[in-house]
Amino acid sequence: MLEIKSLSKTFGAGVAAYHALRSVDVTVAEGEFFTLLGPSGCGKTTLLRLIAGFEQPTGGQLVLDGQDIAAIPPSRRPVNTVFQSYALFPHMTVAQNVAFGLEARGTAPGDVARRVDEMLQLVQMDHLRDRKSAALSGGQQQRVALARALAPRPRILLLDEPLSALDLKLRKEMQAELKRLQREMGLTFIFVTHDQDEALTMSDRIAVMEGGRLQQVATPRDLYDHPANRFVAGFIGETNFLPGRAAEGQLRLDGFAPVALAEAKAVNGAVTVMIRPEHIIVGREAPDCVQTSGQIDELVFFGTDTHVKLTLPGGASLTARAQNSLHSATDLNPGQTVPLSLPYDALRILPDEAAHAV
Amino acid sequence: MSKRKFSVRHVPGAAPIAIVTFVALYAPVLILIANAFNAGPVIGRWEGFSGRWFVAAIGNDAFRNAALNSLIVAALAALISTSLATMAALAITRGRRLRGEGGIFVVLNQPLLVPEIVLAIALMIVLAQIKQATGYHGLGYLIVAHSTFCIPFAFMPIRARLEGMDLTLETAAMDLYAGRFYTFRRVTLPLLAPGILAGFMLAFVVSLDNVVVSSFVKSPGQETLPTYLMGELRRNLSSEIYAISALLLFASVTVVAASWLITRRKP
Ligand SMILES: Nc1ncnc2c1ncn2[C@@H]1O[C@H](COP(=O)(O)OP(=O)(O)OP(=O)(O)O)[C@@H](O)[C@H]1O
Ligand SMILES: [Mg+2]
Repeated sequence: MLEIKSLSKTFGAGVAAYHALRSVDVTVAEGEFFTLLGPSGCGKTTLLRLIAGFEQPTGGQLVLDGQDIAAIPPSRRPVNTVFQSYALFPHMTVAQNVAFGLEARGTAPGDVARRVDEMLQLVQMDHLRDRKSAALSGGQQQRVALARALAPRPRILLLDEPLSALDLKLRKEMQAELKRLQREMGLTFIFVTHDQDEALTMSDRIAVMEGGRLQQVATPRDLYDHPANRFVAGFIGETNFLPGRAAEGQLRLDGFAPVALAEAKAVNGAVTVMIRPEHIIVGREAPDCVQTSGQIDELVFFGTDTHVKLTLPGGASLTARAQNSLHSATDLNPGQTVPLSLPYDALRILPDEAAHAV
Repeated sequence: MSKRKFSVRHVPGAAPIAIVTFVALYAPVLILIANAFNAGPVIGRWEGFSGRWFVAAIGNDAFRNAALNSLIVAALAALISTSLATMAALAITRGRRLRGEGGIFVVLNQPLLVPEIVLAIALMIVLAQIKQATGYHGLGYLIVAHSTFCIPFAFMPIRARLEGMDLTLETAAMDLYAGRFYTFRRVTLPLLAPGILAGFMLAFVVSLDNVVVSSFVKSPGQETLPTYLMGELRRNLSSEIYAISALLLFASVTVVAASWLITRRKP
């Protein structure tokens, strides 16, 4: 169990100070696949480097299994990293790379050899054990880097965008394999990515970061269905935002009649309402929905579904997704005005940041 | 036509200029080598092909002595300057940023900035006093003197190699439980080795070819190969001198070519 307690990191000082991490608080559970997700520059790598010990925090604590690890240098932290560039030692063979961490620790040669064999089999690189690591393909290097980091049995494995250098097909394969390895070994993974699909499919929990802060930590499902704020809602999946007001348990979307909504009880005042494109019902009126209509601006075919870009009577634009099932209505045409239904239980009220600012 | 990238090769007259330059650079050297194989003793009169001047040179004690001195000085000066250059390069490209890095650079490149004759005179004055004080007249002075001006030559390939090295490799080693020294021995040094070897070889040739500093610093009666050649030239211009020059040339070219081959290899 890794407890990250109000951890902060500031680079530089005075006017040049840059706050890469601002009081990050989170606990990563034993055996968890924990993902850090966020745009470039939000501090993901910085957080990993602090956990690995390559950087010292400027504030807060890192507690691993009840022990504060701040003073432990990287070479003694029971944490290993899979680097984005793999960082394999080019002058060593595959097997020598995998053996490195064990040898540096002074493991007995017989045990090293056994563990190296085991690891190479695990990542299916046994047949290339004597190949120089510089002569491997990207996917193979990835496997070796993984085996090398796993060999010394770390308590936590840190992975910094390990798949971003691979092409799409290989990436999908490695995603599945990483997930399988992690589940079988029951090891804690802290995984960095800025690919939301990767995060959603692989993780037990995801921490969405922005500007050095954790915006929300939740399971993929919760993150998608109940984003904590507009940033998270916009970053994970596609979303429509509609302005509205909430008062006394009633939500009034601008231009519509008020509806009673349990969620609206907690808020008062201006709000942003979110609805996912796939929840909007296009072409018919349905019960328990906000009813409206929209003019179709554009249809974009995506194979499994079609994105329908619409303009509402009030001028707001909206994107809906219609499933392309075998008998689906293919009679949507640009320019046409169609009925739209927004199910009450698909509406999510987000605190309105603009309103907060006032 | 206009899409073609600009290339010097397409400038009119470039080819003839290149050829003339090439000839001017190498023709004298080729003539020298040819003369070394002349059977006759007189320069400019060809009396047939023979290796007798090489045999004569190798049989010549004074030559052998000078050659041995040159090799000892070159080897030790290269060793010393390469060690210092390696440490300097590591200090500059590794660890936290040093204060006064520009200053270090100036110090390292002093031999390239200061005219060689000035350096030679300066070394002569200082070393002469030490000679007088200690009474030691051995090769040590030449080794020390050569070590100084060899440093920048040893430094260049090492630094180039270090700068091309991926720093995350060292981070990765530390992440894998390697301490500082273990990281240096298992990762940094092996990756740096070709640069160090190339630096050593460059320093070796620079020392081997040096005339000016050697002539000022050497003790009376002491000769290196180039100073021996200079002395012999003043007395008589024989085909043997050509043979010795050819040998020196061969040694130089071999070492430079080897160092070029080593540095060309990718890290
Ligand atoms: N050593 C450093 N000195 C100064 N600023 C730094 C340093 N390391 C990182 N930063 C800054 O901290 C911020 C966060 O960097 P970080 O590498 O953690 O981002 P990231 O989330 O990993 O981004 P990416 O997805 O692009 O890898 C960046 O703005 C970066 O410029
Ligand atoms: Mg990063």
